[in-house]
Amino acid sequence: MAGLVEMVSVCFGGVALAQTGYPAEMHRLTLDHYMVVSAVMFAIGLIGFLTRRNLIIMFLCTELMFQASGIALVALGRYHLDFTGQTFVIFVLTVAAAEAAMALALVVLLFRRRESLDAEEWSELNG
Amino acid sequence: MGLLTHPYVLYALLALLGVGIALALPRKGRGYQTLGVLLAATVGGLVMVWLGVRATAGRAPLPNLYFYIFSLIALGGALRVITHARPVYAALYFVMTILASAGLFLILSAEFMAFALIIVYAGAILITYLFVIMLATQSPSESDTDVLMAYDTQAREPLAATVAGFVLLGVLSSLILRGTGELAPPPVNPPGQDALADMPRKVENALRQARLMTEGERLADEAQLGDVAIDGRKGLIHVQGVDGKVRTIERKDWPGDLQVKNVELLGFNLLRDHPGSIEIAGVILLMAMLGAVVLSRKQVQMDEDAKARHAERLAAPGRNS
Repeated sequence: MAGLVEMVSVCFGGVALAQTGYPAEMHRLTLDHYMVVSAVMFAIGLIGFLTRRNLIIMFLCTELMFQASGIALVALGRYHLDFTGQTFVIFVLTVAAAEAAMALALVVLLFRRRESLDAEEWSELNG
Repeated sequence: MGLLTHPYVLYALLALLGVGIALALPRKGRGYQTLGVLLAATVGGLVMVWLGVRATAGRAPLPNLYFYIFSLIALGGALRVITHARPVYAALYFVMTILASAGLFLILSAEFMAFALIIVYAGAILITYLFVIMLATQSPSESDTDVLMAYDTQAREPLAATVAGFVLLGVLSSLILRGTGELAPPPVNPPGQDALADMPRKVENALRQARLMTEGERLADEAQLGDVAIDGRKGLIHVQGVDGKVRTIERKDWPGDLQVKNVELLGFNLLRDHPGSIEIAGVILLMAMLGAVVLSRKQVQMDEDAKARHAERLAAPGRNS
């Protein structure tokens, strides 16, 4: 339990938002925290994509998975003190925006055809 | 402590989290949803505590409190995105997730990405989603849950999907716990301040504003000097007067704002180290725009079924009156 007490006292130590130059290095176990959060978020997005039947929500869940990968990229970039991770997240954002535009145009098209957003309406497509 | 930080504790917690999420998914019966959300939230908190205890046992500095707050908000929002029966609310919970991850980015000192995330995701993409949700909803939703569509209130194969998701999560987390142990340690001497040499105008302006450089002076001529005029690593700046005499300003005399900002380093990384990628991003966006225009211009012929259903729905209020 001493560990818990120490943990809480360290947590309240305040936050240093290093805006200038390279911030201090990050410990490997701190990196683990971010990676586990990102993995859980990815799994939640995957479960949502598999279970939801509303086409729009299914695409929202893919955005959730993009977001999870973004957190992992930024955290790893921060660990290696390298900005390429952040540069890559900019491309994740670009792809997400392009995907949203195309997917939503397709969803509107499908909705006009069947008057429903249910993915099961299109289950005959699976051959 | 050794037993408490064993990876199997994490896997057991993740399995419990899976049970919570499986219960929280919308079904016909309803009733276990609240229980599932509570269980998932509690176990999510326990996973965080487990990580914290493990870090403390490993003598590592913990991430600060804001990490725990933001990540719990982000994961809670994500959980509600996949469990909420109303699409509009799901989209709003997604905005919450985005804002919390922007907070995480701030803690990771990625300020530019944090604000770009808010602007691009919460500002642009989510508004598009909300528009489409409102365009493509059949009945105006009332506070009564009965008007909800069946495809929103009943999940498809909740159990199988949760098992699949958590098998993936188990593999991912075990690989993460093993993989981060084998990472190369972070560089001891990060090349951050070197970038100052690429920004002579910024250096000159900062020095002039701090009155460290007079009117006639300029940065030293590198060919004449035989050295770089700005040495960020050693903390030396050489300036040259009108008479050609070289003077050196040391780091202790520099004005406080003469440092390389994270945003500037990101800019160098993006535009100098990966110049072609911007072009590719532009092409992707252009093609997406063209595709969206072409797709949504197309007139759709409704098939017979849909036409009949549509006519029926339009006729329904008339019949009642």
